[in-house]
Amino acid sequence: MFIEFFYALRERGLSVSPTSFLRLQKALSLGMIQSVDDFYTTARAILVKSERYFDMYDQVFAHFFRGVALKAPDEIELTEIVRALLEEWLKNPEQIAEALGLDASELKKMTPEELIQYFLDRLKDQTEAHHGGNRWIGTGGTSPVGRSGYHPGGMRVGGQSRNKSAVKVAMERRYKDYSQEGPLTEVQMGEALKRLRRMIPSGPKDIVNVDKTIYETMRNAGEIEIIFDRRLSDRLKIILMIDNGGWSMDPYVEVVQTLFHYARSQFKDLKIYYFHNTIYSRVWQDAERRYKPEPIDDFIRKDPETRLIIVGDASMAPYELMHTNGSIYIDEVELGTGIERLKFLAKTFRHSVWLNPQREDEWHHTFTVGMIWRVFPMFELTLDGLEKAVQHLRVRH
Amino acid sequence: MTKDNNSFRGGSKYILDDELAKVVNVSIALEMPLLLKGEPGTGKTMLAHAIAESLKMPLIVLNVKSSMKLVDALYQYDTLTRLNDSRFGDSKRDVSNIEEYIRMGKIGQAFVSDLRTVLLIDEIDKADSDFQDDMLDVLDQMQFDIIEVDKTITARNRPVIIITSNAKKDLSDPFLGRCNFHHIAFPDTGTMRLIVGVHFPNLSRDLSEACIEAFYRLRDFKGIEKKPATRELINWIRALKTDPDMHIKSLSRGNAPYLGILFKKSADLAAATQQSARLR
Repeated sequence: MFIEFFYALRERGLSVSPTSFLRLQKALSLGMIQSVDDFYTTARAILVKSERYFDMYDQVFAHFFRGVALKAPDEIELTEIVRALLEEWLKNPEQIAEALGLDASELKKMTPEELIQYFLDRLKDQTEAHHGGNRWIGTGGTSPVGRSGYHPGGMRVGGQSRNKSAVKVAMERRYKDYSQEGPLTEVQMGEALKRLRRMIPSGPKDIVNVDKTIYETMRNAGEIEIIFDRRLSDRLKIILMIDNGGWSMDPYVEVVQTLFHYARSQFKDLKIYYFHNTIYSRVWQDAERRYKPEPIDDFIRKDPETRLIIVGDASMAPYELMHTNGSIYIDEVELGTGIERLKFLAKTFRHSVWLNPQREDEWHHTFTVGMIWRVFPMFELTLDGLEKAVQHLRVRH
Repeated sequence: MTKDNNSFRGGSKYILDDELAKVVNVSIALEMPLLLKGEPGTGKTMLAHAIAESLKMPLIVLNVKSSMKLVDALYQYDTLTRLNDSRFGDSKRDVSNIEEYIRMGKIGQAFVSDLRTVLLIDEIDKADSDFQDDMLDVLDQMQFDIIEVDKTITARNRPVIIITSNAKKDLSDPFLGRCNFHHIAFPDTGTMRLIVGVHFPNLSRDLSEACIEAFYRLRDFKGIEKKPATRELINWIRALKTDPDMHIKSLSRGNAPYLGILFKKSADLAAATQQSARLR
């Protein structure tokens, strides 16, 4: 049943697996689903695995179930789903067996043809048993299961009922805010950055090391010798450099601020510096870039294990990067080009990334992005990019 | 952290919405774990308590920690006690029988229990992804091995498994593939009215309306990092009830006292105070 719906979901880019689709069939055959409302909720719980896709699901559902007449699945569609089923079967026989309600050993004995036949028979069963031929979903209350009480107990519905059809609910698009197009929030950033933590023993020795204790006790001829260790805690050092000047960064202020806030509240050993466009001989600890400069050359004295994260759009006039006196500020007399400074930083800190708030497909339009890209591994300042950046920072070189 | 398995604090005070009830029933019928996500304070953990209560099953809570290994959740081989016993020999345990030193972890307890249990795995996102995948393997097969005594523990009854996650980030695909999923949205005003109703049965209608209205207005303030959730609202109403100087009229005029109960971060509190002053 609902094969078209399955494909409509897949076409929209929802990664609905055949296994989960079979699970939905199983739920249908158990008589758990007695109305479109039930179907809406149940299918979503089984097929859609993230609230970020709920909005997409709602759209497909609303489109699909509004005034659609039933059509029996025709041959071509069945072939398609059978192919998907077989692929899944090859990958993961146990799951398919379970979804079909078969024993794994029984399934092994089946030839692919038999499996397909079994599957088709089951589909037919359901069409007859629960859907009375011409209707999408059976409404008869013959099933022992359902709202009135799934044994043992079932969940009693204590809340209010929606009083709206599932299609209408779907059309409200309640989950729009959660969809993938939504802005990067602090929580999401936190989840990505959390992986950066590096646990190192520190603090008082108050954890019993069982293995060592046993070993030492044996060495001691059975006289108990308890060995204590230090607790693990996060000791990672991070330097965050933010491009906070110039109109080119203006559209990204919010997302950079979010990153900044999160980083400040989460990492114990975090230094934040500011620069404009690119890094010359110094960076500043204050956002106005006036009072607390720190020469770049001093960074060589810092722990090389420090993770360096630079945030900026890397877009500037090429001479700012290439010319020995490229700074756009007159009072900054420079020795060495901007790009050399960057190379110096990249060499000093083996674990470094550049986060670019611009979209990756826009990077090619700016010459200096390419230049910097060759010095620092560059990632988009999005959830995806952030995760890749974190992965890169975690790698031991 | 151990909780008394028989205490369902506020279990009967849980307002279950229609959608969630269906999802829970389907998950039980399909024998699949149910993964719950949602903002903090939407009652993810409470749900497991409510299920346990309404199905009259014991509840076992596994609070996941970041440093946790899967084996900790399954069983523990108490080597220290054994060492101690072998040294001093003043216990009734048989030192040569390792099985006497195996203690079941939370998943293990759920497996060996004579009754069908509700197993709540709280905040799975804290653990690393290896833990998550391995755990699902165990829950899939409903058995695990105790290496020390070379014994396989098979679940007597398949527990009802509820997994919660606070993460906005997705869990791994194989993990998701084996769970049903539901996202608990923040309750709307109607549901909130019911929730307030069960917590404060004697609260006057006017007051509860005014409080809820004010609460949602406060939640909409801009620049708030941690928005107040249901828990904060309940505490806030409790505070308002004890204050003899509180008048419903002043509340509906936008005069909201005790903002500190709703906003827990100092920056949030400052922002909220400022914005509520502007409203007046």
